[in-house]
Amino acid sequence: MLSELLQGTDTGGFLVIQDSSSCTGRHLLKSFINAALNREENIHVLGFEVSEEELAEGLNTSAPQRLHFHNAYSDPLGWTDHLTFTVHQFCFDELTHLVKQTSQSKPATLVIDSLSWILRHQSPPAVCKTLQQLKRGGAVRAIIGLLHADMHQKGTVGSVCHLTTSVITVAPGMKGDEAVAKITKRSKSGKVMQYEEIFSIKEDLTVIVQSKPSHLEHKQTDPEEQQMDPTAHLTFNLRLSDTERKAKEKLALPFVFSKEKKTALLHSGQGSGRILYEPDANDDYDQEDPDDDLDV
Amino acid sequence: MFTELNSILNSTPDSFTKGEFILVSDRQSDASFLIHHFLSFYLRAQCKVCFLGLGQSFSHYCAISQRLGVSLAQAKEKGQLIFLEGLKESLSILIPQEGHTENQAMDFLRDPTVGLRSLYKFVQSSLNSSSSGEDGTEEWGPSVLLVDDISVLLSLGVSARAVLDFSHYCKATVCSQLQGNMVMLVRCDGEDEGDDGDDEGSELLLRGLTHQCSLTLHVQGLPTGYCRDIHGQVEVCWRRRQGDGQHTQKKLFQYKVNDKGASFFARGTSSAVL
Repeated sequence: MLSELLQGTDTGGFLVIQDSSSCTGRHLLKSFINAALNREENIHVLGFEVSEEELAEGLNTSAPQRLHFHNAYSDPLGWTDHLTFTVHQFCFDELTHLVKQTSQSKPATLVIDSLSWILRHQSPPAVCKTLQQLKRGGAVRAIIGLLHADMHQKGTVGSVCHLTTSVITVAPGMKGDEAVAKITKRSKSGKVMQYEEIFSIKEDLTVIVQSKPSHLEHKQTDPEEQQMDPTAHLTFNLRLSDTERKAKEKLALPFVFSKEKKTALLHSGQGSGRILYEPDANDDYDQEDPDDDLDV
Repeated sequence: MFTELNSILNSTPDSFTKGEFILVSDRQSDASFLIHHFLSFYLRAQCKVCFLGLGQSFSHYCAISQRLGVSLAQAKEKGQLIFLEGLKESLSILIPQEGHTENQAMDFLRDPTVGLRSLYKFVQSSLNSSSSGEDGTEEWGPSVLLVDDISVLLSLGVSARAVLDFSHYCKATVCSQLQGNMVMLVRCDGEDEGDDGDDEGSELLLRGLTHQCSLTLHVQGLPTGYCRDIHGQVEVCWRRRQGDGQHTQKKLFQYKVNDKGASFFARGTSSAVL
């Protein structure tokens, strides 16, 4: 499913990549941008969170006129009076104007990095309204947004994802390189399908989808750089020879209540020590009657 | 400067990655020893350092840096170190006296809802003045911003949102524009906050800063409890993709702080154990 989504969203499609602080979704976002550039589409990027240099790292730059980066990173709140895109300009009219200014005949794909930045400064209803207007309007063909799900209340995340045609939630995978993508796809007929796939992203931003995750797989520990052998470099010998190891395994531990012990306690064996007691007059000492002459 | 930490992070005062945002965080522990490391590291690397000391007084940092072999008073005199002593400057706003001009940077104390724009202006002006090239000033290396610690701002009434905006602007100026480095300490008290996503709170701030940064050092106590010889564990997480294509890498170390520094070792290999 992930490969199909990478091959291009339909017109009017709105894709959201949800990530968290433990696993960033920006690499997947860059893969989507790269895939769209390879399909010769026009891309407009609203960059709030990272600088243009950092976002452009690794992207296909063979046709720079197709990738338009709107710098909302240096001064998104207007603190330093640079004439850059501010967060307050995130509304339907301004965005349509911005996209139409630089775009050619084909409608463009709008990439928003990230929606969380905008949600921090504008109310969720306003953001949802703008997104819905963009979806309906003709200036923008598709929208791809990055959302940090752990930075907002569940209701806010839910409201934004309600508008989407597909949501990809990225989570850390078992091995270091891999990540798990949970995909929810809403088709035009209203049917909702869910998929789960393991993927990894190579250096050239191509996505490799591995098989679906098996729940029976045990968590693989990352290969450690040094295998510390605690029995090395000691002045005494801690290693066991084979005979010593066998003897160690055969040993019954003293406080383990095994079946043998139980039977030994219940049935005292023959020849084991027995206690014979003959009552002695001196043992019959009564505290309350020391001379043994009271008639009680 | 802790030599073992330098080798873990692959950096020396002569060569370190520029444009990095390093987030030092702790949970029910004290990670300020890492701030002292970075302070002495960058001063030794001949960088111009702007230090927002919101948690402690100047003499506290001076005393500890002296043990690490760096003189803060000298660095301040030479113009290498610009120190904002939060505790002292806040008095100038809270108890205004004639003859003393108040420091604009702490304006947020008067009205926390206004945000940290003036604090950002202070940072910008102190790090940008190095490019003026006056006679007699030495050429310093890349600019560095150190904040100890940023969670204090939350207790002073500033919202987590405003603090994240401040750190964003600092990152845009210090890391991207000036190609310098930034180190911030954020502290969590580790309480359960129920449904995550509440607007205020150190957890939200920690998550937001983690999204922005490129390297995190998370300090925690040992999960098994108190130990005399091991003071805790540090989890180092490289968030940005390294040049050789490796994905986010995580490493866990245990540490012990002593008089003249801290030693770091892999789990279970403390000198007290082996």
